[in-house]
Amino acid sequence: MKISRRDVFIGGAASLAAVSACARAQRSQDIAIGALYPLSGASGASGVDARHALETAVDVINTSIDVDLPLAKSAGLAGFGGAKVTMVYADHQGDPQKGRAEAERLITQRNVAALIGVYFSSVAATVSQTAERYAIPFLAADSSSPSLHRRGLKFFFRPAAHDEMFSKVMFDFFDALNTKGAKIETLSLFHEDTIFGTDSANTQIKLADERGYKIATDIRYRANSPSLTAEVQQLKAADADVLMPSSYTTDSILLVKTMAELGYKPKAIIAQDAGFSESSFYDAVGDKVEGVISRASFSRDLAAKRPSVGKVNELFKARSGKDLNDATSREFMGLLILADGIDRAKSTDGEKIREALAATDVPGERTIMPWKQVKFDEAGQNNDADPVLVQYVRGRFVTIFPAEAATAEPIWPMNSSAPRT
Amino acid sequence: MTAETIVQSLLSGLLTGLIYALIAVGLSLIFGLMDVVNFAHGEFLMAAMYATLGFTLVLAIDPIISAPLVAALLFVFGALVYVGIIRFAMRARTNVGMVQIFSTFGLAILMRGLAQFFFTPDYRSIQHAWTTGRTFSVGGVYLPAPQLVGALVSAAAFVGLFLLMRRTDFGKALEATREDAEAVALVGINRNRVFMLGWGLGSALIGLAGAAMAMFFYIYPDVGASFALIAYVTVALGGFGSVFGALAAGVIVGLVEAITAMLVPPSLKSVGIYAVYLAVVFFRPRGLFGSM
Repeated sequence: MKISRRDVFIGGAASLAAVSACARAQRSQDIAIGALYPLSGASGASGVDARHALETAVDVINTSIDVDLPLAKSAGLAGFGGAKVTMVYADHQGDPQKGRAEAERLITQRNVAALIGVYFSSVAATVSQTAERYAIPFLAADSSSPSLHRRGLKFFFRPAAHDEMFSKVMFDFFDALNTKGAKIETLSLFHEDTIFGTDSANTQIKLADERGYKIATDIRYRANSPSLTAEVQQLKAADADVLMPSSYTTDSILLVKTMAELGYKPKAIIAQDAGFSESSFYDAVGDKVEGVISRASFSRDLAAKRPSVGKVNELFKARSGKDLNDATSREFMGLLILADGIDRAKSTDGEKIREALAATDVPGERTIMPWKQVKFDEAGQNNDADPVLVQYVRGRFVTIFPAEAATAEPIWPMNSSAPRT
Repeated sequence: MTAETIVQSLLSGLLTGLIYALIAVGLSLIFGLMDVVNFAHGEFLMAAMYATLGFTLVLAIDPIISAPLVAALLFVFGALVYVGIIRFAMRARTNVGMVQIFSTFGLAILMRGLAQFFFTPDYRSIQHAWTTGRTFSVGGVYLPAPQLVGALVSAAAFVGLFLLMRRTDFGKALEATREDAEAVALVGINRNRVFMLGWGLGSALIGLAGAAMAMFFYIYPDVGASFALIAYVTVALGGFGSVFGALAAGVIVGLVEAITAMLVPPSLKSVGIYAVYLAVVFFRPRGLFGSM
């Protein structure tokens, strides 16, 4: 028998194809999901916490754990015959351009089935566009700018609330207090200058207009400022009924320290989460902000209504040494929702996962959040992610609003003495 | 805007400016001595802040007392950096400037990475220092104790530095070496030794600044970045290598920042600093007190 060069070539190609098919089959035992977070840089602490939260979720998915959450009871993904989920992490350092490049690398080189992330809304904007281009689903676990889901993206999903929903609950709270006789009239806004702070302030201005509150001053500052003295002086001069900061951790710490140094005691603070939900913020300046209120999508006292909260918190604490907070709870739950979609898709094809995610229907009881349910609208936003307001009282958070989720009465104004319980 | 707000702004600007000057002077000293820009300057500040935090946490020593200890530690560290890195970087035959930039830049990345690894990216701050929470109020104008102490430390450091430069042999050797490093070798001054001590002294000054900063600022691995930028513009404004230019420029930067924030939205306050710098470059490119 004569073996021509062409036969050798074909044979070689065939065996190569067989080898690569084997390799792919082996790889398909694990489902890779890409996670983009700021693992170093000014907000590195948030990214490191996020990683602990995602790993906790991976534990819940890959091992059999007795809690009533999606994918908890089975070990691995049933839709893939028990395949495990593995995470591939990338560090975007809070930089939208790095986020874009890293997202592309995860998709094209690490073959991830979907992306999750990313903390900063500004980075979520570029990452979600990259995901869209490659037709890979992106789940925004903890980025809350309302503009993110209004760009007509097909592969964008956000199970948690956005800042308009969060700000609305703040104004509902003011209205409720005013009907009880509190006199809230003027508001001071204090926000950082990227998409998170800007969107948050724009929403608050719009809501204040609609509901007849006066903006006493609106201060936009540069993130990671070496000094906030001038900014705080203006807040002090305005001395509004409520101070509403939208700040990440570094600036939140500096804001509170500077307020104390310049003798400014706001009557009340209602924060747009971020820095005001980080444990390092309370470690640094917790004693100066007794009674501060923050919007939240999570509070540990939810354990009274959601039994899985306690168990998940235990798992998370074993990894990170910290309790779950507003950001880490959303990251944990976000990954469960995403993995649930992949499981139901029974495929790693981006389009199939997208369809499965769009059909998500998880009742609130099967989450660790105060949400009614998880169901995405056309734009990929879950409109039933009801936010709550939490107040920092004697070293821990209690839910104070809305009434149906509350576990304690609000203390208003924040400096009035706490009622004995 | 009331008179009270204006006085408060200017005083705050002055206090901040003195601290900026202390942060910048070490950089200026080293540059003046040997034309090397230390790109790890911000990381030296970060290391000093962590050292101060360490003294409070482990030995319960107040930052005011540990400041000289931190300065001494940084002196040793700075001298070692010269002996271990800069001395070799200066031996490059071509592109000396580039080699120096990348060696200090590499050092910066290394220090930041090590801090992230050992101290985690978490934000720390000193909770129970003597100055914590103390603030003096005079007629509605507030002077926070930590910044006041920081400004006093800065003023004292500049007086000390002045005496050192004018009254001691070491100061004269430093001055002579910066004038002409080749010539001093001829009169028997060991150039390497002066450079090493210069790096030690410059780093000790940033050590003092770090101890003062740790009293009121949060501490994390990247904390040096925003202050390093201010230090560079301060040095450029005051004149490269001029110690007293750094003092004047630090105060100018602090005041300009405060005044800009009064006139335009605070998010633009650093614009004022760079506008002033550009104006200075236009009329006097060597900086206000530059002698080159």
